[in-house]
Amino acid sequence: MSASPMRTVPILIAREYLQRVRTKGFVLGTIGAPIFLLAIVLIPQFLAGDGILAQREIALVDRTGVLAERLAPRLEDGGFEVELVADAEAEDRAIERAREGEISGVLVVDERTLQDGSATFRGLDSPSTLRQMALRQAVNQTALAVRLTDDADASLLALLQGGGLEMDRLGDEEDVDETGGLAGYAVGFIGAFFLYFVLLIYGNMVLRSVLEEKTGRIAEVVLSSVPAWELMLGKIVGVGAVGLTQILVWVLSAVLILSLGVPAAIPFLGEMEFLADLPAFLPSAWVLAFFIVCFIMGYFIYSSLFAAVGAMCSTEEEAQQAQLPVMMLIIVPFIMLLPVLEAPDTTFAQLSSLFPFFTPIIMFGRVAVGTVPAWELGVSVVGMAAAILAVAWVAGRIYRVGILMQGKRPTLPELWRWVRRA
Amino acid sequence: MHDRGEGEFMTEPAILLRGVVKDFGELRAVSELDLEVPRGSIYGLLGPNGSGKTTTIRMIMGILEPDQGSISLFGGDPNRSRRAKVGYLPEERGLYRRMKVLEQLIFLARLRGIPRALARERSEHWLARLGLDDRAEKRVEDLSKGMQQKVQFIGTVLHEPELLILDEPFSGLDPINQDVLESIVWEFQERGATILFSTHLMEQAERMCESVCLISGSKKVLDGDLRELKRAERMGVVVVDFEGGQDWVAGPGVEDFDETPTGVRIRLLDDADPQPILERALRAGIRIGRFEVAQPRLHEIFVKHAGAPADTPPEGLRRNQELEVASEGRP
Repeated sequence: MSASPMRTVPILIAREYLQRVRTKGFVLGTIGAPIFLLAIVLIPQFLAGDGILAQREIALVDRTGVLAERLAPRLEDGGFEVELVADAEAEDRAIERAREGEISGVLVVDERTLQDGSATFRGLDSPSTLRQMALRQAVNQTALAVRLTDDADASLLALLQGGGLEMDRLGDEEDVDETGGLAGYAVGFIGAFFLYFVLLIYGNMVLRSVLEEKTGRIAEVVLSSVPAWELMLGKIVGVGAVGLTQILVWVLSAVLILSLGVPAAIPFLGEMEFLADLPAFLPSAWVLAFFIVCFIMGYFIYSSLFAAVGAMCSTEEEAQQAQLPVMMLIIVPFIMLLPVLEAPDTTFAQLSSLFPFFTPIIMFGRVAVGTVPAWELGVSVVGMAAAILAVAWVAGRIYRVGILMQGKRPTLPELWRWVRRA
Repeated sequence: MHDRGEGEFMTEPAILLRGVVKDFGELRAVSELDLEVPRGSIYGLLGPNGSGKTTTIRMIMGILEPDQGSISLFGGDPNRSRRAKVGYLPEERGLYRRMKVLEQLIFLARLRGIPRALARERSEHWLARLGLDDRAEKRVEDLSKGMQQKVQFIGTVLHEPELLILDEPFSGLDPINQDVLESIVWEFQERGATILFSTHLMEQAERMCESVCLISGSKKVLDGDLRELKRAERMGVVVVDFEGGQDWVAGPGVEDFDETPTGVRIRLLDDADPQPILERALRAGIRIGRFEVAQPRLHEIFVKHAGAPADTPPEGLRRNQELEVASEGRP
């Protein structure tokens, strides 16, 4: 019946977690965000009449006799349903149907098309910009292909579009980057921004939770049952679990939307060719794993500091001010991130990424864009682990004294005394 | 100090402090404090605000570490399993405002090692007993102050502690709820539990305590069994109800006196005989309604030894406020 940390810490974590997850704010923020994102993708398309119900049927009139054979499959690849019009009588009927709104319109290609690629689209409304682009591209490429000889078709077209510059990172033999380093850059920036964002948010959540316990005088009641470090650990892990839950919901819903929801909802997936490149932009399992390491270790470093700040203060206003130095530890590396992403192998990048308080954001960026020597990775992870221990030691002492202290905020020398004496 | 068997355990004092010192920077909050709380007693820790009561209690609870001296609980180190047998009501009450009442009580009990099902059962029992069963699913912030106090009290006794440490337990309660909680405290004592409570209200301590420890300005003034303390006190008190002038009161043998609504309360010098006072009163020709040789009040003993008033409202109240201001900014 006697209580041990193995039993009480989970109780503290569970309380923190359940209390937060049950709030309206969490539910709205977690489930609302993806719904909101989905909405801003879909609503404009519905408003533009290009939603699920939009007409995708077009009639194709070919006055040259050579274009239709190649144009029709291209249009169909682009998400259109094509109906070939054979003669003038059929053309009149098609125009009549377009006028009635039964089909989207009639695309007319003629000699002019073969000369300069222009064509006419006759319909009730003009199609969306994306669709116009898709039509123009299909017409142009077909015209071009017809003008060139058959067997030259594919290769010449490819040449016209320009080849990509493949990046073969030496020392990373298996992985040839077809996006020309852009993917690494994007992953580095977006990932680091995400780290920056969630570390600030959840750190702040820890701070306010500690402050609530202090100002509500709950700390002493709980501290008569468990030591201060357990309360602090329970809080940090509890809030961290809330963060992971939120991220998990976001990632899962993003995957769900991308793989099921959006393609089904967007009828002209063919027009969004860039989606096909998406896999090349997705981070490798290794980068993803390092992201998780950075998130978890960074979270422990910063949230312990935020907990100590919360314990030092007695009001929200005081805490807003006092947390600035801790916030700077997250903001400064984010500011330094862009130059590091541009040149990940400079001494500046190297040193700043090995500084444990900057490692989570900067080292992640470096790992995403380039190859970081194994020893540097090792040093950075060990550095973060050491920082966690050091911060937990210092913050734990400040927390222990501060959480029971009412009145004015301690000065720096006073803080030092707390750390030494506690 | 090493653990002993449970049998011997019972003869050990519930709380034993030896030479305990606690400093906050320049300020000495507790100075060389010895304290012995016998098992099964109701013990009062008395003194004005800012005299070190709360700091002492926090050290007993292991929330603060003493700078010097030793503290033992039930005859051993105040470790986790011994502290789990203590029910602690801090001076500063606090509950999670957004948590539901029942949920909160179960949480507090589980932290003390009570399994969830039992915690729920006991919480419901106590809520019903204190007339709060219809509030179990309400958030704490939706309860009145008095109800919150009762919930907090339930949280203190849910694990059926052997030792109750109550820091100013009845402050801010209306008389009815005060009686309810007081009767629960008595109940625990009858079942064999030890009660230590701190207060700055001497009258309350006088009514409830078997033993007391008076502290002032971080130092112990005196301690021991309340009846023995009063008996050992050589100070005599004479209460006289009368009509007429009071010129006769001051004179040989009188330390000082207070006016009461019906007469005076006279404190005699040590070993002074009350007889000459009666003679003076008769000579003065006043009409006497009552002449009683009484025991000194705890408050009077305190003033005599500490040289400063402990409570005596309204003067005492003013003093306490000053002390509160003086002690701000430290735990």
